[in-house]
Order: sequence, then structure tokens, then C-alpha cells
Amino acid sequence: MTVTVTPQTFNFVAYDAALIQRVTDELLASLGLTDRDVNVEVDETTPLARIRVEIGDAIAIRAESGAFEDTKRPRQQSEVATATSIGRVLLRVRDRLVGGFGEAPPDEELSLPQVAAWDAYCVGRLARLGIEVNEQRWRYNFRNRHGFTDEADEAFNKVWTSDGLTWGELQGITQGLSV
Amino acid sequence: MRQFFPVEELARDERFHTITNRERMGDPRTVFHSSPQPRNNNRLTPSRKDASDAARALMHGIFVGEIQALEGAGRTCHDFETSTGGASDPDTVPFALKMDMARQAWDEARHVEISVLLSNWMGTEIGQYAENTVLFEAACSTDPVLRLAGVNRALEGLAIDVFTTMKEFGDLAGDPYLEFCEDWMLADEVTHVKMGSDWLRKVTENDPERRKKALEFQSVVDKLFSYGGTRSDSEESPIGLARRFRELAGFTDTEVEEIADVSLAALNERKAFVAKAHAAP
Repeated sequence: MTVTVTPQTFNFVAYDAALIQRVTDELLASLGLTDRDVNVEVDETTPLARIRVEIGDAIAIRAESGAFEDTKRPRQQSEVATATSIGRVLLRVRDRLVGGFGEAPPDEELSLPQVAAWDAYCVGRLARLGIEVNEQRWRYNFRNRHGFTDEADEAFNKVWTSDGLTWGELQGITQGLSV
Repeated sequence: MRQFFPVEELARDERFHTITNRERMGDPRTVFHSSPQPRNNNRLTPSRKDASDAARALMHGIFVGEIQALEGAGRTCHDFETSTGGASDPDTVPFALKMDMARQAWDEARHVEISVLLSNWMGTEIGQYAENTVLFEAACSTDPVLRLAGVNRALEGLAIDVFTTMKEFGDLAGDPYLEFCEDWMLADEVTHVKMGSDWLRKVTENDPERRKKALEFQSVVDKLFSYGGTRSDSEESPIGLARRFRELAGFTDTEVEEIADVSLAALNERKAFVAKAHAAP
């Protein structure tokens, strides 16, 4: 299993390819995803923060530079943001490959509430891996997609604290909540 | 206590990181990420994929803006001697104007507290985003009338637009706290703009040249704070122009049209600049 990062040298932002590689290596080891190569491509020409992943013989991650950015210091890299962004998509990969998410729609066909629920499920697990996350940020995102109600909060708590959910179970928890 | 406080010496603890407008606008990514054919709709609404993160970032911008507005209004209370403020005493301000600035400072302090609570609610930490201090810079003019034009009319006017957008966001998302808090702060901002409009007219009543200069300064600040089209009537802008609330704040129809034109011009200039950058070899 190898991790490659492109570009190796950044011109628009002060990012460190070695840091991205190390963070990805550590996440892969923690998540037990050691049977495939991973290519991380960073688009440094945009400050947006989208991150996409494709599963093939290798795992291809395409991240916009904002996904790894320290929002306090524009154009500087944040290790926590890097770990959260990459960890989130790697957990989606693991869910699809071995976690009972085989019937989940392709990423581009997921609805906004589905994305919010899956993100909450992923980031909750990242928090338990020791990555520093702001739970309230993800709760707010979840509420925006599932409603500002006690029922939505209860669903969030369940998703956030769960391990080993299937796609069907995740859907079941959030069913009927979407605003 | 010293008068005319420099922006570089604003008191901030280690949680904050300030950047200048030059740094902000100098980020090369903001040119290259923009498509020469931008999306038709960038308005901040819950239907945007990045809605909650975009709202959190804007909320933090509001928070630091409130701090600087508090500092600016406080400075105007202190920086000038009390007199008529008219043509014969241009370096002074009427006592009643100071009272209005003191009331505004009190409002802004409350807004800071509300913004901190809203940021917590949205999952944002104090200082999580860089603070651009350009708002306070607009409050550093040595002419109090220019401060009224630049801060109360241009920047507080922008606050009306921002709060209206955020209030609508809260309404559409079903977030009762966001909608309620933005509505209350919006009411204060309308009052602040009205105070600026009233005092500008009153103090420059017999000094048309000074009024003209102040309105020109306002126009410059309005364009600067349109941030290359961030705020305009166009759906391509994340923040809309809150025409009705601007009317309530004392803007004439002509003045609202002028701001709409300036904002749209900023958007079009930005688009032309991006198209040129993309076309360059």
C-alpha cells in the first residue's frame, strides 16, 4: 500500500505534501484500509473545500485546497482539517467496501440529508479515533438537513455514537426527519 | 486616553488572527477558482451543498464585524470634542450625536454577545476564521461626517443586507434561534443607519461640499464592501440587497439604486477580471 500526493510542491498555498502523506498513512492504518494504494490530488487553485473519492484498484481522492486549510490563517494548512477531510472520505470508502453500505447510491446521487447523516456517522467515528472535531458543527449541519427538533437531535446522537451501522440502518434512523 | 486609535493596535487575544484587506483580496485562488461562466445562483440558502459551513463562516464575519463596529462607535464618542459639528466647527460633533454613538456602542456590544452564542450554536469557535479589520479602518477618518457616511451608512447598510440574508437562511432552514436573533439585530442596524443618515444631513446642512465628499466616501466604502460582487441584487451574489429595510433606514430610492449600481458594477468588474485571468496564456 502506497500513498502518493500531487502536487509535491504547492505554489498557491503553503501546504506540505509530506504532512498529507503522513496523515493519510496514519488514517489508513487506523481504519485497517491497507490493501489498496491511495492517490491524493489537491487542487490548489481553488479555496473551496469539496473533497471527492473514487474507488478503483486504487483509492483516488481529489480535494480542493479549502478542505485542508486553517481557516484562521488563510492559505496555511491545518493538520486537523486535513485529517478530518481525508478521514471522512476514507471511512465512506471502508463503509462501501466492507461496512454494509453496498446498496448506498453513488456519492454524486446522495441527497443532502443522506450526505449529512453519513458525515455525522463518519465524523463521530473519527472523534473516537482521537481526531479533534467540533461535534456541534456536525450537529448543526445535521439539523440543517433533518430539522431543528428533538427528534432530529436524538437521531444525530444515535448516528454520532454508533459503530457498525449498515446503510439501511443509517437510513432507518433518519427516515422521516428531513426538512 | 489617546485619540484616533490605529487599526494595528486593536486589542485582540491569542484566539484571533487578523488579516488586511490586501491579504484577503491577494489570495490568488480567489481569481482562479472562479469560473469565467459563474453559477447563476450563489445566494446563501440552505439548498447550497456547503450551506451550513458557509453560514458558519458568515456568522463569524458578523461577529468580528460587530466587535469592530463597537470599537468604531466608541471611538467616535471619544475622538472629537463636543460642539455644533457644523461648518465652523468641523472637528467637533454635537452632544446628541455622541449619545447616539454611545447607544450604538451598547447595541454592538449586545450583538457581539449574541454573535458569540450563535457561533456556539452553529459549531464555530471564537477566532476560528481570520479577522479582516477593514471595517474599523473605515471608522478611522479624522472627519466625523466621513465616519457617519462610511460606517453608519455604508457598513451598517451592508449589515442590513447581511442580516436579512441570514434571517432568511434561518427561516428557510427552520432554525428558530438564527432567524429570531438576526431579526432583532437587523432592527438595531436599521436604527444605526437611520442615525447616520439623519446626522449626515443635519451636520452638513449648510456645507454641501462636505456632504458631497462624505457621500463620495460612502460610495467608495460601498464598492469596497461589495467585495467584488459578494453583495448585490443579482442571484450570483451570496448576499442580496435589502431594499425595503434600506428604505426604512432613511435611504432614498435614488440612493438605493446607486448602491445597487455600485454593487452590480463590482460584480461585473470581478467577472471581467476573472474572464481575463482565465484567458491569459
